[in-house]
Amino acid sequence: MSFEPKIIAFCCNWCSYAAADLAGIHRMQYPHNVRIIRLMCSGMVHPEFVMDALSQGADGVMVLGCHLGECHYRDGNYRAMDRSDMVAELLEDFGYEQERFSLTWVSSQEPDKFVKAVTEMTASIKELGPVNGEQAEVV
Amino acid sequence: MGVTTALEWLGSCSGCEIAILNIGEDLVSLITETLNIVHAPILMDHKYFGQCGEGVTLEIPEAVVGIVTGGVNNREHLEVLQEMRKKCKVLLALGTCATHGGIPALMNGQDQLESWEGIFSTVSTDPGAEIPNVEVPPPLDRVYACDEKVKIDMQLPGCPPNPELIGEVIVALAEGRVPVLPGKSVCDTCPTKREGKGMVDKVKRFINNVEFKPGTPIDEMRCLLEQGYMCMGPVTVAGCAKRGGPSCISARVPCRGCFGPVRRDGNQLLDMMNGLVSNGLDFKSVVDRRSVLRFSGAHGRLRPVKKRVARGKVK
Amino acid sequence: MKKVLNIAPVSRIEGHAKIAIHLDDDGNVENTFLHIQSLRGFEKFIEGRPAEEVPRIVNRICGICPWMHHLASNKAVDGAFGVTPTPTGHKLREMCQVMAHINDKILHFFFLAAPDFVLGPDADYSVRNIMGMVKAAPELAKQVVKMRQLGQMMLDKFAGKAIHPVAGVVGGFAKPMAEEERKELLQGTQTLLDFGCYALDFAINNVFAKYMDIIGDLGAIKTGFLGMVDREDGSLRLYDGKLRLMKSDGSFVDFEGNEYIDYIGEHVEPWAYSKMVYAKSWNEGFDMALTEPKGIYRVNTLARINVCDKISTPKAQAALETFRNSFGRPAQQTLLYHYARLIELIYSCERTIELLEWEGITGQNVRAKVEPKAGRGVGVVEAPRGTLIHDYTTDENGCISGANLIVGTTHNIAPMNMSVKQAASTFIKDGVYSEGVLNQVEMAVRAYDP
Repeated sequence: MSFEPKIIAFCCNWCSYAAADLAGIHRMQYPHNVRIIRLMCSGMVHPEFVMDALSQGADGVMVLGCHLGECHYRDGNYRAMDRSDMVAELLEDFGYEQERFSLTWVSSQEPDKFVKAVTEMTASIKELGPVNGEQAEVV
Repeated sequence: MGVTTALEWLGSCSGCEIAILNIGEDLVSLITETLNIVHAPILMDHKYFGQCGEGVTLEIPEAVVGIVTGGVNNREHLEVLQEMRKKCKVLLALGTCATHGGIPALMNGQDQLESWEGIFSTVSTDPGAEIPNVEVPPPLDRVYACDEKVKIDMQLPGCPPNPELIGEVIVALAEGRVPVLPGKSVCDTCPTKREGKGMVDKVKRFINNVEFKPGTPIDEMRCLLEQGYMCMGPVTVAGCAKRGGPSCISARVPCRGCFGPVRRDGNQLLDMMNGLVSNGLDFKSVVDRRSVLRFSGAHGRLRPVKKRVARGKVK
Repeated sequence: MKKVLNIAPVSRIEGHAKIAIHLDDDGNVENTFLHIQSLRGFEKFIEGRPAEEVPRIVNRICGICPWMHHLASNKAVDGAFGVTPTPTGHKLREMCQVMAHINDKILHFFFLAAPDFVLGPDADYSVRNIMGMVKAAPELAKQVVKMRQLGQMMLDKFAGKAIHPVAGVVGGFAKPMAEEERKELLQGTQTLLDFGCYALDFAINNVFAKYMDIIGDLGAIKTGFLGMVDREDGSLRLYDGKLRLMKSDGSFVDFEGNEYIDYIGEHVEPWAYSKMVYAKSWNEGFDMALTEPKGIYRVNTLARINVCDKISTPKAQAALETFRNSFGRPAQQTLLYHYARLIELIYSCERTIELLEWEGITGQNVRAKVEPKAGRGVGVVEAPRGTLIHDYTTDENGCISGANLIVGTTHNIAPMNMSVKQAASTFIKDGVYSEGVLNQVEMAVRAYDP
């Protein structure tokens, strides 16, 4: 059976969540692997959310926020950006590949960008294989 | 007669036991009246296999209170821990090794077999030596905290734990009430002056002494993080403070997190790095980041660095 | 019928061990093993760590002598970074180390070993311990608890942490000593010195006199000795000095700590995780045969008392003279470890006072300038349990690239095995043994304070 990854996408209420909605309204097709969690701001994603998701079986985690300068709360997305480098690097410390995490800017009017981001992430995780690969194979 | 109590040490250094002795003047009444110690290798001669060593199964007497120190590194530790669980009504994990893996769990960040082979082939070791395997307990795949292996009723971290808190927990257990333990961070108990981070944008290694006026109390010294030193107070649970300030800070030395994370399942490395980044400090200035987990490397937190698989080759 | 007696755990010692006594068909001792059960891998997991952090990691090797590991490690990192600690920093470290010896000796003699003597080796196991001593000799027990606490709290108050210390730092010490602190420590140490003298008297009159016959016999073996002595006058040293390796005939060689690889080697047996250190430079190999051991030497208190030419402090020197008059040099009887321990207790108190009275001890310049770099350093101190060697190599970032540790107890693993065998074969004959007899076998181990 082919590997169907589980991907958690933390979407900002003011942009990417609306973009996902719009993608639905337009009946745009995108992989069913993504599970969306709505937040008020990408700056709310504490690194522990990412680590917890991976440790509980998610194969990848996406954070999708507003373009820089467009944050509803002025600078939440800058926070998210500052953290994202750190999160990606720390993933390796905890035994995960950096590619299992991504940060993307998507405005509420860019459903195509949302679809592209999700599609690319799904493809990239499929290539990487399941989280904690060796164990997953034994099961 | 006091409450029957069994003490055991697993992969430990016996610092926790010494901390128990450091309870001080109350110790005598504690070990002779409050408690009735029925098993404790460091203090008394009860044996696993009968007093003449003829038995075949490991046995520990029944007790109301069980106190375990040290992490679980090998099969013997596991067997002893399971026996303790079976025989004790309430099981207390004492010390950071028992609660979060402690220093020995740094081993979890290494390849175990490679390391052990290295240990038995050092410059001073006779050539050709092999890893001992006769009548010595084989290692587990990694170092575990006690609660990864059996149900633990109460945890008291610390490396070593604060004797005052040990006294509080023991008395509480004997009296059948819930002990009062600190739940905030080391910073919360730290009286150093905080003036804002100022120009600090990196953390530095502790190769120079911190700035302070000799002879003055620590509440006149500036916060060590604000002085630019890596100090793990923000991500470490309080409890070490004795004479009015955290132990290491009162020795004018930054905190390294020996009481483990603030929340029981917190992640010291992640929280520390998040704290640095959120305050605009360069997280890459931390040399040897993984050793931020030096006290809480169990629970799968610390793992050998994954050798990267070339992309496209993954199944 | 063949039979194995498993004395596990070996109790009232400071580590994890098991004694297995193998009996043959007639119930006589065929062989004995002291299995060392635990291996944690410090040598490996300090690799990659910034060297200045390592003294705060390796102190966790032992919670009873954390100061020894802490300071040996600091000395090794000093060496690797090419730093010489300031005189005040150096003396503050030594003071903490000898003070830690004081507590350790009180703990070991009174809490762990004394129950065998005060209550008797055959007393029931449920009372043959410190709790039993509280009932049998309440005044003494209270005094002991109080004195150990005093020593421990003095150190704790001055250095922040007595267990798993942090105040020793590469290049010296983390904080200077204030005049009030000095006065308080001095007063406390005086009290401890009085107690130390009382303890030795107590032991001579109530323990050694009473158990003279066992002392001559129990676990007695003939070996060489290794310990630290002053570079100039050959007197007893615990923190800094040269090493002296003595043969059982009393002849010896002196060498510096960083030359250890030329003199000692580590042998591995498949039944103990602990390596067995032996005298490689004697070129006779390694053999634990009781009649003619090869390469075997001992460390710890008795060894230090044997190898030193004298002790630099008066009360301890007087005690040493009495000791040598009775037992000669080198003294071989295993139970004399306890006697030697109490002489060292007095020395540690006297030496602490000496250091506290040194005019520079309250100096402000406690830490030299440190620059992390590549190098190699060997740090040696005398731990309560024997000569402790930390040998580090660092890379250009000042992180550990290689480490070799020789811990005090490991020198004594082979001799302990021999003493166990000697004791077991002496006491167990034709299948007759009892709890008391087996406890005496353990007493042979306990003397070494492993």
